[in-house]
Amino acid sequence: MTTLERVERARRTLRAAAIGAAVLRGAAVALAVLLLAATVDAFVSLPTGARQAVPVLALIAAIVVFARRWRRAAVRADAGSAALWIEARFPSLRYALVTAVDPRYAGRVPEIERVAAEVEFEPAVIKAARRALTGPTIAVAVFAVLLLLLPSGAIARVVRPAAGDALSRARGGSHVNPLATVVVRVSPPAYAGLRDESLDNPASVRALVGSSITIEGVVGDGAVVATLGTTAPASGEAHTNAVSTADRWHLALTMPATPTAVRLRAASHERLLLLEPAPDSAPVVLLTLPGRDSILRKPTGTIRLAATASDDYGLASGAFELIVSSGSGENFTFKSRTLGAVTFTSRTGELAATLSLDSIGLQPGDMLHLRAVVRDRNNVSGPGVGTSDTRTLRIARSDEYDSVAVDPAPPPEAEKNALSQRMILMMAQALEKKRSKISHAQFVSESRAIAVDQTRLRKRVGEIVFTRLGEDTGEEGDAADKRLDRPVNADSVLAAADRLASAPVGTALEGNEDETPLVATNRPLLEAYNAMWSASGELEIGEPGKAIPFMKKALDALQAARSAERIYLRGKTRAVVVDIDRVRLQGKDKGSASARTPRQPADPARDQRVARFDAALLLTRTAPSAAVDSLLLLRLDLLDRDAGAARAIETAANALRGGKDATDALIRARRALAAVPSTPIALTAWGSPP
Amino acid sequence: MSDFIFCTAQYDSGDWDSAPLVPANLIDSIARYTSISVAPTGVTVPLGSTELFKYPLAYLTGHLPVRFSELERRNLREYCDRGGMLFVDDHNHDIDGVFHKSAVEELTRAVGPLKELPNTHAIYSSFFKFEDGPPATTHELNGWGDNLVHKHLLAAMRGDRIAVLYSSKDYSSEWGYHPDNKRFLSVDNTKFGVNIVVYALTG
Repeated sequence: MTTLERVERARRTLRAAAIGAAVLRGAAVALAVLLLAATVDAFVSLPTGARQAVPVLALIAAIVVFARRWRRAAVRADAGSAALWIEARFPSLRYALVTAVDPRYAGRVPEIERVAAEVEFEPAVIKAARRALTGPTIAVAVFAVLLLLLPSGAIARVVRPAAGDALSRARGGSHVNPLATVVVRVSPPAYAGLRDESLDNPASVRALVGSSITIEGVVGDGAVVATLGTTAPASGEAHTNAVSTADRWHLALTMPATPTAVRLRAASHERLLLLEPAPDSAPVVLLTLPGRDSILRKPTGTIRLAATASDDYGLASGAFELIVSSGSGENFTFKSRTLGAVTFTSRTGELAATLSLDSIGLQPGDMLHLRAVVRDRNNVSGPGVGTSDTRTLRIARSDEYDSVAVDPAPPPEAEKNALSQRMILMMAQALEKKRSKISHAQFVSESRAIAVDQTRLRKRVGEIVFTRLGEDTGEEGDAADKRLDRPVNADSVLAAADRLASAPVGTALEGNEDETPLVATNRPLLEAYNAMWSASGELEIGEPGKAIPFMKKALDALQAARSAERIYLRGKTRAVVVDIDRVRLQGKDKGSASARTPRQPADPARDQRVARFDAALLLTRTAPSAAVDSLLLLRLDLLDRDAGAARAIETAANALRGGKDATDALIRARRALAAVPSTPIALTAWGSPP
Repeated sequence: MSDFIFCTAQYDSGDWDSAPLVPANLIDSIARYTSISVAPTGVTVPLGSTELFKYPLAYLTGHLPVRFSELERRNLREYCDRGGMLFVDDHNHDIDGVFHKSAVEELTRAVGPLKELPNTHAIYSSFFKFEDGPPATTHELNGWGDNLVHKHLLAAMRGDRIAVLYSSKDYSSEWGYHPDNKRFLSVDNTKFGVNIVVYALTG
């Protein structure tokens, strides 16, 4: 073997030792981190998040240490470095090895080979390699042994941290409180498709109704008994005894439909656990086709139906529901059927169907009510049923008035009178034009017919005027007819109006300065009334030509009444008297300048809850566990009344139970309790969210 | 000494009573900030009445055209000559508006031309200090009316004394609220009204 080959072998040995030492050092550091974390966790329970970070930290530390050692080993990776390392330990070589590995002299100088052959450096290399590996190996072994000496649960808590492993660090024994550490495992109903869940020392458990609840703890002082309810167990009341296996006790419950407190008792120990049922919402269903209610002329053809549905845990089935109502008045008959039934396998789904109107035998006047009905997969407390809006299709009757059209509204009173007066005027003018073409008897007859219309219109105008002026027109019409059948003296009527509006409420609107707005508005109608009276008189004697000027005057007066200005009088401001003494803070407060709003009456139930909270606060110093229980029971009462306050109290109770500073949490809980609670929006009676 | 009585001038044309809460508000401010003996309510006096001479300060406002009768014109001239002071405020805040045009015309005919009052005049320091002249109103700053922020008030003088103080700033709207509501303001906006009253009583 040449000198170069010997040096190369020494290099490989040294390099292997360096790499092995780097690996061992990294492993030792990782084990040290795990050991440190497990030891700390044995004394102070580390939160799950912190424990989940421990393996990552150990791995990072190992990689860092390994990388540093690897880099140092890489510096001596060539044969020259190995030769120098040997020369440093064997000075008698006098750089023979360094020269021997130099490519310029390798194998060419026999003297160098001879000098190198005289020195046995291999044992030193092996010894150095062993020494490099010994320390890290011992460290790894020591840390591993120490880890193995820890309880198995302790290692698992830092190596594979998971919710529900609180019992791993708990020790049983006859003097141990078996309720000090509790783990709750929740198995939701199969229909929900949710994973099992574990909770460490929970104050409350929120799960779907029907979920399997398993409470676990370590066996200790006394047998564990559970009582459902908020009161202490009385004699004869049904209890549930925990089952003990090895060093653990188990208690199996089912999540009830209403919030319930589970009181756990063992010897003198007691602990409360709240069971909160989580709601399973009914499916939300949206009917997309038909888009709106409608009226069909004939009960023939097909209609497309479509709907979408969604649910929080899963849909089971759905169908369209049809109800046909026939009849009228108080006699109706109904028949119903379903259509387009489908089965779902996911949380969302669609329904679609085609409805043949011919197939359901609709008759004119029948009404067809359509909606989509969907059920969810809840086979424990359900199923939840969601329904869509209902669409109504009505079949029109053959003799039915076209309900789509809009009934024409009558024109306003003034408009109607003007229109009628214009028509009567046109009729009179037309009659006057054909005077020479018809007989006198027919002419007079038609003139009197127009006079009847004119008289009717005059009476209508008169009713308006006298109603406005506050005079009784007489419901029977006798008095009114008597008065309205004679010409009206406008001045007398206006005088009556003046008496009516006796207070001088404003200045003149138009015309005479002394006129009140009431008079000014009614004067044109009175003028029209008198002109109509004259016109009807002329028409009555067969003189439409003489009636036309009066009729035109009446028409103009009606137009003037239409365009009369309306005045809305401003209210008078109340005089303000300043209380000088009060302003100068010299007098006494004799009252309030503005109305004072009375305070809302206190809610006695809320006051009672605040008092319970305050009582629990007093217990926090003397009996913290009793305070926690009191808070949890208070939270139980609040679950369906005030969710915000319930959450705040849970936070405070958890902080107290964990031995942490609960001041801020208690302050927030107190504020939430004292505030006005907001009522959660409940589902509608129809099962669908609003 | 008799109480100061706030007087609102009533003229035949226009809506002289368009700011009914301003008197009470200014009376409240006078009571609040000064020791002036003030009557708890104001009075309304016809501009053409000799009753006007009982009051050192008269307040006149409105939206509609102002047309003084000859009696009103003569009485107002005599009132100013005798030492009275008329505070006129354009409720429209609009120099193109009918009130401004007609009121300025009538006042010019009655007491002489209105000129800009310098912002260093004693009325701006007669009680509270207004370094920048007349305080702006929200109507000005919001761009209502003529969309102008008027930097000066106008005045007709008798010697070095203000006989007619004319404002286009619409203090009638600015001060037109019940005095009990003053507590909702961070800064009382009626303080300049106190200056006007104090100036009228001492100037």
